[in-house]
Amino acid sequence: MSEGEKKIKKISVDRNLCISAGPCVFAADSVFVLDAERKAVLKQKGGKADSGPVEKEALEDSAVSDDVLIAAAQSCPVRAILLYDEDGAQINA
Amino acid sequence: MRTYRYLVIGGGIAGTTAAESIRQADPDGSIAIVSEEPHRLYSRVMLSKPGFFLGQIPFERIWLRKEAWYAEKKIDFIGGRTAVRLDPKEDKVLLDDGSTLGFEKLLVATGTCARKWGVPGAQKSGVHYLRTLDDVKGVMQAVKSAKHAVVIGGGFISFEMCEMFRLAGLDVTVILREKYFWEPLLDEESGRIVEKAFEAHSVKVVRSAEVAEVLGDKDVAGVLLKDGSQIPCDIILAGIGIFCASDWVQQGGVEISRGVLANEFLETNRPGIWAAGDAAEYFDIILGERTMTATWLNAQMQGKVAGLNMAGKKQPFRLVSAMSAQAFGIDVSFVGDAMPRPGRGTVLRGEPEKGSHARLVLKEEGIVGAVLVNRGSEAGAVAKVIEKNVDVSARLAELADSGFDLTSLLKP
Repeated sequence: MSEGEKKIKKISVDRNLCISAGPCVFAADSVFVLDAERKAVLKQKGGKADSGPVEKEALEDSAVSDDVLIAAAQSCPVRAILLYDEDGAQINA
Repeated sequence: MRTYRYLVIGGGIAGTTAAESIRQADPDGSIAIVSEEPHRLYSRVMLSKPGFFLGQIPFERIWLRKEAWYAEKKIDFIGGRTAVRLDPKEDKVLLDDGSTLGFEKLLVATGTCARKWGVPGAQKSGVHYLRTLDDVKGVMQAVKSAKHAVVIGGGFISFEMCEMFRLAGLDVTVILREKYFWEPLLDEESGRIVEKAFEAHSVKVVRSAEVAEVLGDKDVAGVLLKDGSQIPCDIILAGIGIFCASDWVQQGGVEISRGVLANEFLETNRPGIWAAGDAAEYFDIILGERTMTATWLNAQMQGKVAGLNMAGKKQPFRLVSAMSAQAFGIDVSFVGDAMPRPGRGTVLRGEPEKGSHARLVLKEEGIVGAVLVNRGSEAGAVAKVIEKNVDVSARLAELADSGFDLTSLLKP
């Protein structure tokens, strides 16, 4: 992300929208995985994995770059990956 | 004549991802995307999903790139233009407005077209197809006043649109030429589970039937079936298959079959020309044969690889594609190439009485594809088994045992 743009603080996946297309897993497999129902979930510290919302620091790969998260959100054909900045506002991927 | 270093014909996810990948690899080379549709990249997948179709989410969510994205990436977007001829001798493409664009590298990412219904009366107002944003806008407008829908065909479009019409409050009849829904991609047991879900939601399923004529004056009033029966309706959605419109590249010396032929690097037979996405009939190195794959993930990943290769890399394309569709409370997941082609074996697994069934498709000693109805949790394991080319020839009984955990096939 370029300077002046807000950093990503939180991420969530809208389970109702997710259609298991899977590009998020390809874009960021350290963050996204398809669960037993083939819905995208977020891999968190301690082995937890769910749809969130999850703070970026709580991700298993908390060092993942914002660019990779934005690429993952952009790759979703149903826009089910939601990114939020420090003010809680949604970042348009 | 304007000449581009990289010319992409097709503005969908394959073409757009290719252009994006090229720009990342080559910051300065000129790039153009020529799109038949006037719109910037949107989600074709979202068109038939309830949130969008029923207007539950804002219309603007359909866009996948901002208008400014193209200029930001120094990509010329030429919208509302169709490529009509690839020159057989020179590196140039003729567009439908008479203009010509030159290129150093060309990508054919034109997707596929909806097969047009040929019965008498199919040109009447009220007969719809579903491919583009503008097609869907027309259907969304029509359902505001329509009461009785007839859907023609038993495949993806039909599966989703029967539900959309029911959710919009219309009564729905679906007319199949086949014996059961989604024949032959689904086995009969799985197809019957789908039909049961349709019927539980008051969709009437008419099998082994064909329409002889569309009735009405200017507007659709009903259909006459070949058996003489009539079904009144005021909207018809025809989802009867797709075709790849590639005569324009064939004239330029590019080999085609069902699609545009490409090797594992997505290169066509003509140097400097690649193909990606639904339009590509590419050599699949996992399947060991040529195939066509029509999923979002495949189109995106092929766009990426084709783009990288156009920009100088030489990366083979290797992917087990998967997707799923949901309607009327059931989930149908597709992994790999699930068509039961000649020479392939099949194994059925599931508990049909519980509404759960799958067919695994085998080639030689490995699995090449599967369709899973209400067994989507196995899709990940199947994809891995395909990708790793696990030899399952001695394990057919286990494959047929619905209680057998497919992930154990991956253990050494």
